[in-house]
Amino acid sequence: MPRLFLLLALSATVAGAQSPAPMALDSYQLPNGLNVVLAEDHSAQVVAVDIWYDVGSRNERPGRTGFAHLFEHMMFMGSGNVKTGDHMALIDAAGGSLNASTAEDRTNYYETLPSNRLNLALWLEADRMRSLNVTDENLDIQRNAVQEERRLRVDNPPYLKLVFEYQYAVADTTACFPYAHSVIGSMEDLGAASLDDVQQFFNTYYAPNNATLVITGDFNPDEARSLVQQYFGGIPRGPAPPPLAACNQPYNTGQVRRTVTDVNATLPAVQHVYRAPATTSEDFPALELLASVLGDGQSSRLNRAIVREARAASASQVLLNALGPRRGPGTFTILTVSNGQANADSLDKLVATQIARVVSEGITPAELEKAQNMKRAQLIYERQTAFSRAEAIQRNIMFSGSPQAINNEIDAYLAVTLADIQRVAGKYLVPDNSFVFLATTESAQ
Amino acid sequence: MNTPPVRYPGRRTIARRPRTTTILQLSAVLLLTACASSSQTRVADDPAPAQQVQPAPRAAAAPAADTGFPSSPPPAAPVQPAEFPPFQEATLSNGVRLVVVENETLPIISLNLALPAGGVYAPEGKEGLPSMLAALLTKGAGERSAEQIAEDIESVGGSITAGAGSDFLTVGVGGLSSAAPLAFELMGDVIARATLPESEVELQRQQMLSGLRLQQGQPDALAQRAFLTTLYGDHMYARLSTPESVEGITRAELVSFRDRYLKPEGALLVVAGDLTLAEAQRLAENAFRGWTGAPPATPDVGTLPDRDNPVVVLVHRPGSVQSTILIGNTTFQPNDPRHYASVVANEILGGGSQGRLFQILREQKGWTYGAYSSLSRRSGVGYFAAQAEVRTEVTDSAATEMLQQLVRLRTEPVQADELSLTKSTLVGRFPLTIQTASQVAGAVRDARLYNLPGDYLQTYRTRLAAVTAPQLMNAAEHFTRGEGAVMVVVGDASKVYPSLSQGAPGPITIINAEGDTLQPSDIAESAAAAGAPSLLDASRLRASRDSFNVVVQGTPFGAMVRDLRQEGNEWVLTDSSSIAGARQVTVVRLGSDLSLRSVTQRGSMQGRDMKVNVTVTNGTASGTAATPLSQFEERQVNATVPAAAIDDNSLPTLIAALPLAPGATFQIPIFSASTGGITPHTVTVEATEEVTVPAGTFNAYRVSVAGGQAPTTIWVSAQAPYRTLKLAPVGAPLEIVLVK
Repeated sequence: MPRLFLLLALSATVAGAQSPAPMALDSYQLPNGLNVVLAEDHSAQVVAVDIWYDVGSRNERPGRTGFAHLFEHMMFMGSGNVKTGDHMALIDAAGGSLNASTAEDRTNYYETLPSNRLNLALWLEADRMRSLNVTDENLDIQRNAVQEERRLRVDNPPYLKLVFEYQYAVADTTACFPYAHSVIGSMEDLGAASLDDVQQFFNTYYAPNNATLVITGDFNPDEARSLVQQYFGGIPRGPAPPPLAACNQPYNTGQVRRTVTDVNATLPAVQHVYRAPATTSEDFPALELLASVLGDGQSSRLNRAIVREARAASASQVLLNALGPRRGPGTFTILTVSNGQANADSLDKLVATQIARVVSEGITPAELEKAQNMKRAQLIYERQTAFSRAEAIQRNIMFSGSPQAINNEIDAYLAVTLADIQRVAGKYLVPDNSFVFLATTESAQ
Repeated sequence: MNTPPVRYPGRRTIARRPRTTTILQLSAVLLLTACASSSQTRVADDPAPAQQVQPAPRAAAAPAADTGFPSSPPPAAPVQPAEFPPFQEATLSNGVRLVVVENETLPIISLNLALPAGGVYAPEGKEGLPSMLAALLTKGAGERSAEQIAEDIESVGGSITAGAGSDFLTVGVGGLSSAAPLAFELMGDVIARATLPESEVELQRQQMLSGLRLQQGQPDALAQRAFLTTLYGDHMYARLSTPESVEGITRAELVSFRDRYLKPEGALLVVAGDLTLAEAQRLAENAFRGWTGAPPATPDVGTLPDRDNPVVVLVHRPGSVQSTILIGNTTFQPNDPRHYASVVANEILGGGSQGRLFQILREQKGWTYGAYSSLSRRSGVGYFAAQAEVRTEVTDSAATEMLQQLVRLRTEPVQADELSLTKSTLVGRFPLTIQTASQVAGAVRDARLYNLPGDYLQTYRTRLAAVTAPQLMNAAEHFTRGEGAVMVVVGDASKVYPSLSQGAPGPITIINAEGDTLQPSDIAESAAAAGAPSLLDASRLRASRDSFNVVVQGTPFGAMVRDLRQEGNEWVLTDSSSIAGARQVTVVRLGSDLSLRSVTQRGSMQGRDMKVNVTVTNGTASGTAATPLSQFEERQVNATVPAAAIDDNSLPTLIAALPLAPGATFQIPIFSASTGGITPHTVTVEATEEVTVPAGTFNAYRVSVAGGQAPTTIWVSAQAPYRTLKLAPVGAPLEIVLVK
């Protein structure tokens, strides 16, 4: 068995020593409340600018679901010195890339550029933070674009409605409205959004004191500081955003089962959704490693048991908070798609059996170590590009309280024990805490 | 299942949506999905700053400190001299070429081995064999079973993958750099000592078959398949796996292919990350010990079709609300000097959100979410393709516009400023594509695999920057030529065919998702039978009793009472009307999901009795009808009723159960119990407005119903409770208004 010994030796090395060099971070705050973090790195001639606004779908009110995302689109419609569409045209022309996305807890806007164009990204972000161009025409254009996006990305592809919409049913609209509705929102609510809503949202949430700017990559720190001061320094502070609607989501309220027809699917599927705690909860690292043991890689439990041994599924995927971390309750989702041999009911039983086994027996030391090493590798891979470094810094600021937390982010995962894993499995992955969506294809109906 | 993900240098990918959404790629999709994506933006055609009038400044007066804010974009800082990152090359004792991109900043490594053993090498009728073999390589090799391979590499935070494209079979291993010995050992085992267990062969066969079935539901995948098979004709690049070919592959054939083609001569190993050339050489020599030999000469890849004119393939996807349009042609060998000009031309046409296709199809016309074009390299002749997903109704217009833009690209010289802007964009983008060690390695790999000139990567930017307008037109003239061009449309052929057949650039072949040829006469029938699902949402309705007045030019002319109630698991709609001496009572029974169960109608008109009795079971309507249309003679009614059908009597009530929203449009088959006919109608929400009826003033959707003999406008309350407020046949002085 020499191979096994070699492997153990390797694993020990991996768990012991392999960490990237600590990241040097320079963080400060402008008098108007804008948080700034600079992370210099000259490994490529590229610079990334990433702004997180502390607002997402969780800040929406009833009747206005989907609004945070609709607003994100409005941020591309021009501002005081930037014509509609020019934001993208200017970045494109410089050879850069950009995007924005909305999740439950945050909305991000980012650009990656050749290093000599840092000033362009900063100027564009500052201009729309200073003076967004809010018009009825722009709102109508983006309302249509978002509704089209919903059709294209949520309603039309197979299985995605399960993830983007149905899984929000696990939170109760009365007890926890912030996490009980989807980010994409309802067509009807999107139709109801008014110009006044847009202006108010901008005034409330898009102020420097509700934003964090991270710059990573190949730049001169003195120049970056001076550009940030010149472009963002004059933007006035906004009022403190209102408190979030209450979220008192109870756990274990009894299993709910629903059968849904996925007209776009050619194979049946089942989605198990368990209520999960906040990302900031002390149970979270253990739950995340458990998700990895169940769903990450060919050697994961679900792949071995359901795809390979039972030969029932083409894939089984575990998603802990599909759109990103949350400061409120989350979802632990298992989506399993048939390979054509099994119907939704038998897939459901197969998954449930695997979950029950983890609850009753826990996992093995090798599985825990594997999950820890996979997490470590993931954190290292994130360091490869300027943009993914910026996102990792932002994540640590929002969910761990400081950018420096990035340098010991792995510790909480290495501290997880086998007992922790079994405890969180028994606490969250129980039938009473779950929603089961049995997705049948149209022809099966 | 097609080409390996060979990244085109300088081609941006971030703003695109993924081409396919198999569950395995779900995580990646999710990240993109919540995005507005940069492609959400809209660019004004008019260069004048028309949108400048109403900025919403954060404060009434700009503070003094803000005076330093420039009112126009800051100029670019000086460009630093850019060199392609260094890499080293060597040849191993067994002939494998080795490339090492050393980068010690992060403790990770990646290995990628490519061999000329892709799809074109598959025996006739065994399409998909190289893909199946690739997947099986990691399912048992050396001393390890499939489970042990996965377990061992994943335990050190790494991964192993293998796949086959048209030209190459590739194996990739990556992980933390401390796992380098394991990574090389696994690479050597899977390439030279795979065990190909029979049970794994069967499992892989099932996976491939379900993968092919999944693809049949994906418009992108359907379009790509129809495009490649038609474009390449008898050439090997047209040979894609099918359920039949996958069913027929045996283990013996896999073993024989492996023994013939997986040989070190001609193979390329690229190593990137925290490892020196010497270490990589030592580990690779050890891992590949005993693996020797050369593959047979490249097979005859066949000839490209010789067609004078374009051809059109329409892939029928019943119920599709969008059409995917793909137009393209073959290009040239990978080292053709026209490559650089083609890259620039492609960028101008459809490289991103500033491309002409995006600007016109999306920004000006609003037909699509995105429209792009791309060039794909192959070892042999590559291809160009322009693609858009558009709303069904505008399919023919969008296809015509796309063709028009191809003509423009090859006939109209590009303006100097557009050319220089595009070139500087491409040059500026290059550093973004080589940020990581494995990206650098990928670029080197492609350059070597395609036998590009030795200095290709180092001179790439300079050569792009030297492209001239005539060179660009010359390149475009080649890849947008009509001879041999292919247009594929994936959509609901019953809606698309009539208009498409009028302006198509060539003869149209209609096929279904399985690739079987259909006749135009097959389409309508299959559409009705397969049909779309019902769009009705019963939760929008509630039991109620509504009274309406029938008014002609302000004068009451009759009355109607609509009673909607639930009985057990059925909805029962009773409609009693008395109009100008004619009386009529209609009872429509509907399932809990509002599917039609029966229609009974009694009435008298012109002194004659009217009677309809029709029941619907499993999508088939049967019964009798005696109406004015049949001169009050009793006629048999037999018809197939699609799931989405709404009975014409209940439409004015059930319209409130549609998910109405501003701008929404629905295609709905309307069933007439009197004749058994099905007529497609278009229901469109035209506006949101206030409407005043005797029952009060309401915020309402104005909905047009078109497609039947009498187009009608119906007003439905825009907030719950949803109900019909008013009906007005277009062009008639008649209105039906809600009284209470």
